[in-house]
Amino acid sequence: MFASMRSRVRAWITIGAGTVAAILAANLLGAFGALPEPEIPVFAAGQEIETGQWRVTPLRAFVTDQRIYDAPIREGQKALVLEVEMTNRTAASTTDYFTLFKHGLPVGEESETPFVMLTRDPSMTPELHPAMKERVAFVWALPESATSPGEIPFSVNTKTYKPIDNLYGVPGWYNEQELGRLVIPVSEASG
Amino acid sequence: MSAGAAVSTGAAEIGQSERRWRRRSLWALLILLPATLALGSYTPVKWLFAAKDLFPRDVEPGSTVRFGGSDWKLEAMLTTKDTGSVKLPENAVPVFVDFSVTIGDPDLQKLWTGCRITLADAAGRSWLPTSLPILRYSDDWSDCNSATFSGAAAGATLKIREAFVVPKDAIPTIEPTLGLGSERPYYLRFLRAKD
Amino acid sequence: MIGHRLANLAILGLAAAICYGMQTSKPHYADLTGPIPVRGGMGDDVKARLFQLRVDKVEFAKILAVSEFGKDRTLTTGGLWAIVTVELAATNSTTTISEATWQGPTGLGYRETERLAMVSGLPPFTVEPGLPARGRFVFEVPPSEISGATLLVSNERAFALDSQARITLDGLRLKPDGTPEMVADIYDMDEPIQ
Repeated sequence: MFASMRSRVRAWITIGAGTVAAILAANLLGAFGALPEPEIPVFAAGQEIETGQWRVTPLRAFVTDQRIYDAPIREGQKALVLEVEMTNRTAASTTDYFTLFKHGLPVGEESETPFVMLTRDPSMTPELHPAMKERVAFVWALPESATSPGEIPFSVNTKTYKPIDNLYGVPGWYNEQELGRLVIPVSEASG
Repeated sequence: MSAGAAVSTGAAEIGQSERRWRRRSLWALLILLPATLALGSYTPVKWLFAAKDLFPRDVEPGSTVRFGGSDWKLEAMLTTKDTGSVKLPENAVPVFVDFSVTIGDPDLQKLWTGCRITLADAAGRSWLPTSLPILRYSDDWSDCNSATFSGAAAGATLKIREAFVVPKDAIPTIEPTLGLGSERPYYLRFLRAKD
Repeated sequence: MIGHRLANLAILGLAAAICYGMQTSKPHYADLTGPIPVRGGMGDDVKARLFQLRVDKVEFAKILAVSEFGKDRTLTTGGLWAIVTVELAATNSTTTISEATWQGPTGLGYRETERLAMVSGLPPFTVEPGLPARGRFVFEVPPSEISGATLLVSNERAFALDSQARITLDGLRLKPDGTPEMVADIYDMDEPIQ
C-alpha cells in the first residue's frame, strides 16, 4: 500500500518536472523570438540575387496606364511593372515565381498576385526552364488613383528545398520567407 | 485461507490469465486483420465500381431496355462518305451511332452523368466518340452529354447520335456500348443482328 | 552475468542498426508510385500501357514560325527549339497523350513548350486504336542539354503506377562539341508533319 503510494508520488513528481521543463523551454524560445531581428539585406537594381529556386537580376520598375506586354490589366487600372532577368536554378521547368516579389503598396488584395509575362513574346505565366535565362515582367494591377511614390520597396522571398516532404515524400520547395528588400526607383510611364 | 497463500496463488493466476489473453489476442488477429483489410478497401472498391464500366448486359438487336431510368433503343449504326472538310486517314471509317431514348425519370443530371458511349470490337479494342467535326449538329440530334443537360421532361423522346472514327478492319465486329453514372459498374452492350 | 549484459547490448545495437538501415533504404512513396519506365531508342516502337510511340526525327531551329488565328508570328528562344516528330498509336482504347519532357544528360527536365497555344499537331494528342497518328513535341533547350538527352512521354503530367516512355535520343547528328550539326534558322510549324 505504502509502496504503491510512494511510486505514485514519484510518478507525479516526474510528470510535474517534465511540464515545468516544457514551459521553461517555451518561455525561452518566446524570449528568443522577441530579440531584435537581424537586419535584412537590401538589394538594388542590377544586382544579382540568389533566392534558392531563382537567380534573378531586377532591371527596372515603372508605373503605366498603357497596355504593357499584353498583361490583362483592366480599363481603369494602372500597371506596376517590375522587369527582371531570371534563371531557373532547379532541375525542372516551373512557374513557381508568383510570390518571389511582393510590393509594399497599401492597395487591395486583388493586386497582390502579379501577372507574369515573358517579354520575348508576351506569353502569360511562362514556364521557365532550367539554366535558361529569360527576361520577365511582373505586372501588378493598381487602382487608377494609386500614385507612384518614386521608390517602391519590394520584398524578395525565398523558399527552402526539402528532399522529402512530410506528406508524400516528394522533393519540393517550401516554407517561404523574406530574403531581403529590393529598393528600386519607379518611374511614371514606360522608360 | 491465509493472506500469504492468497497472494502467492494470485500471482500464479495472473501469469496464467495473462498467457491465456495473449493466446486469445493472437487468435483474434486472424479475424481482425482480414476485417481491417475488408473495411479499409470497401470505399475504394465502391468508388472503382462506380467509376468503371465493368460488367456488360447484352441487349438483343431491336429491343428497348430501361437504363438510367429511361428506355434506350439502338436505332442504327451508319457510315458516311461525306466527312465535309475533315480528311480522314486512308483506313479510317466514320461511324454514327443513333439511339432513341424515351425519358422515364427526368432527373437526367443525376442519372446520366458520366454518360459514356463507345464502340467495342471483338478483339477487345474500344473507341470513344471522335473530336473531329464530322458530325453536323442539328436540332434533331444531340450527343449524350448535352442530352443530359437538355432538361427533357418525362415521356419525351430524345434522339442521341455519337460520331466515331474506327479502322476498316474493326467494322465487321464493332458493337455500341452505353455506360451511365447511375448504373455503373453495369453497362449495356448492344448486340448486332446476325447476318 | 557481464557476458549476458554485453549480449543484450549487442542485440540492442544490432536492432538499432537494422531499423536505421531499413529507414534509410526504404523506398519513398513517390518512388513506389512513380513512373514505370519503358525504354527504347530513336526509331523503336516503345510500348507503354495505353500507347505506343516511335520517335522518327529530331530537328533544331533558332526561330519558330506559327500562325495563330490566321496571324503569323515568330517565336525566339534563349536556347534552341527542338522539334521531335513522333508516330503514336493507342494500345486498346482511345487515349490522350499530353505530357513530354526533354531530359538533358545531367537530369535537367525541360517540359514541352506552352508558348504555342493555338497551333495544331501539338499535344494533347487523342489517338484511336488501329489509327496511328503523327505529331510533334516542341521544346526549348540550351545547346548543352542536347547530347545524351532522353525524351520522357506519358499520358498525363501527374500520375501514379502507370508507364512512361523513355526514349534515348541516340540518333542525333551532333558536332564534336555536342551541339547539333543542323540548326534551321526558321522552322515553319504550318508545314504538314512528315
